[in-house]
Amino acid sequence: MTLLQAKDITVRTGAERLLDPVSLTLPAGRAVTVLGESGSGKSLLAQAILGTLPRGLVADGELRVGETKLDPARPQGSRALWGRQIAVLPQEPWLALDPLMTGHYQLAEVFDLVAADPRPGRRAKADLAELGLEGAGGKYPWQLSGGMAQRLAFAAARAGGARITVADEPTKGLDSDRRDDVLALLRRGLEGGGLLTITHDLTLAAGLGGEILVMQGGTVVERGPAERVLTAPEHPYTRALIAADPAHWPRPDPMPETAPLLRAEGFTVARDGRSLFAPLDFTLSPGQILAVAGPSGCGKSSLGNALLGLLPHQGRLWRDPALPKLAFQKLWQDPPAAFPARITLAEGLDDLLARHRIDRVRVAPLLDRLKLSPDLLARRPGAVSGGELQRIALLRALLLDPAVLFADEPTSRLDPVTQALTIRLMVEIGRESGMAMVIVSHDHALLEAISDRVIRLTPI
Amino acid sequence: MTFALRTLAFRLLQAAGVALVVGVMSFLMMRAMPGDMAFRIAAARYGYDLASADLAEAVRTELNLDAGPLVLFGQWMADLARLDLGRSMVSGLPVWEEIAHQLGASLQLAAVALGLSLLIGPPLGIYAGLRAGGRFDRALLVAAAALRAVPQFLLGLVLIVVLAVQLRLLPAAGHGDISHLVLPALTLALGLAAASARIARDAMAAFAASPAHAFACTKGLSDGQVLLHHGLRAIAAPLLTYLGLQFVLLAEGVVVVETIFGWPGIGHALIHAVFHRDVPMVQGTALVMGLSFVLLNTLIDLAVRRIDPREVRA
Repeated sequence: MTLLQAKDITVRTGAERLLDPVSLTLPAGRAVTVLGESGSGKSLLAQAILGTLPRGLVADGELRVGETKLDPARPQGSRALWGRQIAVLPQEPWLALDPLMTGHYQLAEVFDLVAADPRPGRRAKADLAELGLEGAGGKYPWQLSGGMAQRLAFAAARAGGARITVADEPTKGLDSDRRDDVLALLRRGLEGGGLLTITHDLTLAAGLGGEILVMQGGTVVERGPAERVLTAPEHPYTRALIAADPAHWPRPDPMPETAPLLRAEGFTVARDGRSLFAPLDFTLSPGQILAVAGPSGCGKSSLGNALLGLLPHQGRLWRDPALPKLAFQKLWQDPPAAFPARITLAEGLDDLLARHRIDRVRVAPLLDRLKLSPDLLARRPGAVSGGELQRIALLRALLLDPAVLFADEPTSRLDPVTQALTIRLMVEIGRESGMAMVIVSHDHALLEAISDRVIRLTPI
Repeated sequence: MTFALRTLAFRLLQAAGVALVVGVMSFLMMRAMPGDMAFRIAAARYGYDLASADLAEAVRTELNLDAGPLVLFGQWMADLARLDLGRSMVSGLPVWEEIAHQLGASLQLAAVALGLSLLIGPPLGIYAGLRAGGRFDRALLVAAAALRAVPQFLLGLVLIVVLAVQLRLLPAAGHGDISHLVLPALTLALGLAAASARIARDAMAAFAASPAHAFACTKGLSDGQVLLHHGLRAIAAPLLTYLGLQFVLLAEGVVVVETIFGWPGIGHALIHAVFHRDVPMVQGTALVMGLSFVLLNTLIDLAVRRIDPREVRA
């Protein structure tokens, strides 16, 4: 049974076409997943179907939901379907839930107002119990864990009785455990219903199965059954996308223990007088990569900052006294935030060279090594891509000959293909130069793929 | 519970602080007045023509004005601590009695003005916030700014000239039936409404742009339901908080507006007390206004906390 049929959906702004014609069909019980990186047009497709395109963008094509025919060019008509026929999963549930309303009411109001259920309170209670949220009914969203908020939002989105679920980047910024939760939730939505998922997450796509559409630059470059597309991709972009998945990365040779650069014993960081994580013992030798994993808020970034000496620590920390302060460098999570926005990259780099009396001739080979075009430096940070900017940040750190580099979620804002390139360069340079790295990430697969040792922080 | 207790403790301290400042200031005012105080009080009580040295002497003994300043200060503060505000130097009646009489009239005016402002301001603000950046939003910004920029005495006079003198719709001043209430209440309300419209507009625009708003819509709620169930909640907390600040404006406005419209309230009494150097009355009215401000803000704090229980972290 076909729940939703979209034919030749396009999106344009003025004369410029952002999305080439896409057709898709949502059958009951079979997932349809749109894969692609940011800017590929995959979110535009979802928004065109939902009628939530930003002002100034116009959709066209044919759309049929159940028995209802809709005109994508007139999105007002879709409003009546929200909640009743199409459930829209919010991207960041902890922001989408009303912070001033307890969980029970956020769910019960949908049963009451949308589904016109005579006993909304009872239905809400039953739903909460089914999702393991018994205790969450009386709590406000900000008192819930991320996973609980996700389940509550899922229940609220679907309480209106919709059979079709649309999820736009449901695993954005989640660590692996939470990603499995989302997969289980989406599978629930599939039972007798239709599911359209927009994602760049290959693991999620593989877990959902069904049909996959791969998008690049506003065009569907490849489509087919999930097993076929993910195992035997035909289009070069699909191949690059799959190769960029950390699970498929080649493992680097292990780096042996040598004279350590730093040694930590009973090491932890305290905030407001409380230790953030259980005390740790570890050493870091030249060229080694130490990975730090753990749920968000458990002190991963604080650990790295304390190793650099940016935060006070508890326990014992020995750092090779022969190393100067500048030998401990950091790579930030959000590249644009790590550069002054109003001067060109070359000006910033000149200041660095002058301040630390670094020979200019070192810049060109590093640019080459990081696969960066020298022309980029004439631009301002806002005018280069996130991946390029993060590599320039790496270059900036490498000029100071760091012995230890702390990289805090260095690629979490980058697309998978760019992430793979950036990480591979970091690992290679570390191995070549003997620079040790401490890498923090929420992506376990990535950490497993590149590190000599993974520390999992356990919050206390 | 701890939050409520902490709020109450803090506000009690604040109330004590208000009383202390008002007491000290009133005492200093009393001392700093030029001329023979006894004579002036006598003149105020019995009229300039009748005031004589004998009467002044009688007042001096009655009020014990000859004791040293420290003794007098001690007496003054001790009376205040017992909430004994003394007698009006003009009427000779206990200050409490006079204030109780005037406070009722002022509260009536303030409540009507506040209610009127809430009927005018927030609905306009919500409408503008839902269409932020639109023509109505921009027009409201200009109107609100203009209205806030006009001092209340001027606004009051304009309303008198237009509504009372030109159109003869309402009485220009006085106290009695409900028609006397309209002009002073409107004068106060327009200023308050201008400010609360802006607050409601900003809160509404912020909510309308939030993921919470988008999610409420995609859950299937209609625009009206989203506004009723989620929007009003989102703007209630900032609006209430701002209302607490507006009480200062209201207290100020009451003084000006009551004088213009001859409304026999506490502001009117304050002005008269100042004119006649009736320091016990000045102290009493200032104290009551200050303490009501503290009390109302305490209630607002607790109400805001109920609407938005999130712990505010610095």
